[in-house]
Amino acid sequence: MKNISKHRRNVIKLVAILVSLFYLTSINAQNYPEKGDFAKGAKAWSETCARCHNMRDPQDLRDDQWVTTAFHMRVRAGLTGQQTRDILTFLQESNNKAPKIVVTKTVASVEKSSGLTGEQVYMQTCIACHGGNGVGTVPGSPDFTSNDNPLSQSDEVLVKHIVEGFKTPGSPMAMPPKGGNSKLTTENVKAVVKYMKNTFKQ
Amino acid sequence: MSTYTNLYKHRLLVLLITASMFPLSAFADNKYEELKEQVEMLQKQLSQVQNVLKEYEKQSEDNSNEVKELKKEISETTNVANLQNEITAASEWRDPNTLIHMSGYADIGYSSEGDNFNIGTFAPIFHYQYRDLVMLEAELELEVDSAGETELALEYLTIDLFLGDYVTFVGGKFLSPIGQFRQNLHPSWINKIVSAPPGFGHDGAAPTSELGFQLRGGFELGKMNSNYAFYVSNGPELIAVEEDGEIELEGVIAEGLGSDVDNEKTFGGRLGFLPIPNLEIGFSIATGKATVTSLESEEEHEGKYAFQELLFGTLDEGETPDLHDEIARDYDVIGFDFSYRLKNFQLRGEYVKTKIGEATSGETASEGASWESWYTQASYLIPKSKWEPVIRYTDFTAPHSSVSQEQLALGVNYQFTSSVIGKATYEFNDGLSGALTDENRWLLQLAYGF
Repeated sequence: MKNISKHRRNVIKLVAILVSLFYLTSINAQNYPEKGDFAKGAKAWSETCARCHNMRDPQDLRDDQWVTTAFHMRVRAGLTGQQTRDILTFLQESNNKAPKIVVTKTVASVEKSSGLTGEQVYMQTCIACHGGNGVGTVPGSPDFTSNDNPLSQSDEVLVKHIVEGFKTPGSPMAMPPKGGNSKLTTENVKAVVKYMKNTFKQ
Repeated sequence: MSTYTNLYKHRLLVLLITASMFPLSAFADNKYEELKEQVEMLQKQLSQVQNVLKEYEKQSEDNSNEVKELKKEISETTNVANLQNEITAASEWRDPNTLIHMSGYADIGYSSEGDNFNIGTFAPIFHYQYRDLVMLEAELELEVDSAGETELALEYLTIDLFLGDYVTFVGGKFLSPIGQFRQNLHPSWINKIVSAPPGFGHDGAAPTSELGFQLRGGFELGKMNSNYAFYVSNGPELIAVEEDGEIELEGVIAEGLGSDVDNEKTFGGRLGFLPIPNLEIGFSIATGKATVTSLESEEEHEGKYAFQELLFGTLDEGETPDLHDEIARDYDVIGFDFSYRLKNFQLRGEYVKTKIGEATSGETASEGASWESWYTQASYLIPKSKWEPVIRYTDFTAPHSSVSQEQLALGVNYQFTSSVIGKATYEFNDGLSGALTDENRWLLQLAYGF
C-alpha cells in the first residue's frame, strides 16, 4: 500500500513536469535561424567563454560548425537563448577572410564621413575585447595605455591591421577582420583609429 | 675641203633635228596634262576607297566590340547563374534543418609513476541538432589500459530540448552539475593541470555523472547574469568493505548508473551568479538515498584469505548472504565554487562534501561516512608569450586514510594554439605513508581540443 502511494506521487510529479515542458515548448523561437545582435554577442563572447577555457578564434570553425558549438555551450554554460544567438551572430560574422587592402591616405581629416563616429564604432565593435579603458579584457589583447602599445604605429598600418585582421605576437588568438564586424567601412576603421589614438595614446 | 664639207653636213643635221622637235614638244605637253588629270582622278578615287575602307574597318571594329560586349554579358549572366547555383548549394550545405558536428578532445602523456608513456583519453563528442529545437549530444571515452586493451565508455549521452530562451530539458546520462570541475573543466585541453584535483575524479567526493533528466538554462537578474541546473536521477550506489569484522563504507559510485535499486531518486542542482562579468559564484546541493550494493569482505578459503565480493542482485538458491535487506541511507552533497578572471590571470576554487548516513540494519549496517575535498588554482598567461604557469592546492579527506591526500601541484603550460596545450606538472603529494597517494610525481601531457 505504501509502495502504491509512493508510485502514485511519482506519477503525479512526472505528469506535472511534462505538462510544464509542453507549455514551455509553445514559447520556443520558431523563426530559426534568428539573427542576434553583433555588438552584444561580442561582449557576451568575451565575458563568457574564458570563464572555463581559452578563447577560440572565430576563424577556427565554419558558420554551421559554430551553430552546434554555440548550442552545445548554451547548455553547458547556462546561456539564455538570446545570448546564444548574439554570440553566434558575432562568431559567424567574425570568421570571414578579409581581402588584402592598401591604405595610402592619412586619417587626419576623417571624422563622420560614414555616419558613425570613431567612438560609436569602438563602443559597438571593439569594446568587447579591448575594454572601455583600452587595457584589454581577454588574454592576448594589447594594452593601449602601455608605453609600447600598438597605437604608436602609423595610421596606415593600424587601418590595415584592423581591416585584414591581426594577431599580436604571442597572443593565443587573432583579432578577426574588422573586429568581426563585416559591416564596417574603411572610413569607419579610419575613424576608430583616430578615436583610439586621441583617447588612449599617451 | 673635205673637213669643211663634213662640218656643213653636221650643222644641217642638227638644224633639221632641232626644227623637227618643236611640234613634238607641243604634243608632249598635252599628253602630260592628260596624265596628270588621270593621276589626280585616281588619287581621288583611291582616297575615296581608303575612306570607305576606314569606314568599313570602323564598323567592323564596332561590331567586334559589340560582339565582345555581348559575349561578356552572356559570360556574366552565366557566372551569375553559376553563382546563384553555388549559393543555393552552399545554403543547402550551411543551413539545413539538421546539423551534424563532431568535436571533442584527446591527450597523450607521460607519468613518472611507473615511468611510462600513456594515451590518456580520446573523447569524441557527437552533436546532432535539429534547428533550434533539439540537440543530441554524446561523448565517448576511449582509453588504453596498462595491458594494452582499449576501454570504451559512454561519458554522457543526452537529448537536449530547447524549450524556450530560459530553459532547456536535458535527458539521459549527463555530467553532474554539482560544482564546476566535472561538468565544465575536466576535458584535458581545458584542465590546466594534467591530473584532476584529488576528490574530483572518479569515485571521489564529487559525483561525476547522473542518469535522469535536468532542467537548465540562464536568466538575467537586472544586469547580473545567472545560470541554473536542477536534476532528478537514479542516484548513486555504495561500496562497503569488511575489515577485521567491521563494516565500513568504501566509496560512492556516482557515475550515471542505469538502474535504481532502491527506487529512491536523487534531486539536486546548482545555482550560479555573476555579480560582475569576471566573477562567477556557484552553490550546489543534492539529496536522496543510496544503498550498499557491493560488499568486499575478507574470507578464509583453504587457509588463504581473499576478498569476496557480494553483489546486490537476484538471490540464487544456496547463495548466502546477499544485500537485498540493505536499507537506503541518506545521501547528501553540498558544494561551492567560484572563478575569477582578470585578463591573463585566472583564479578558481571549489569545495564539495558528500555525506552518507548510517544504517542500523542489514548485512552492511554501519556508521555513516563523508568525503570532502577542496581546491584552489591560479594561472597566469605571460603577456606576449605562450607560457602559462599554474599552481593548484588540494585537500581531500576520505573515510579511508589510504585515499585521503593533500596535494600541491605546480605546472607550466605552453599554448601552441588556444586548444593545443603542452603541459608539465609536478605534484607534491602527502598521503598515507607507503601508499601511492604519498608519492610525488612528474606528469607530462599534450592535449588537443577539437
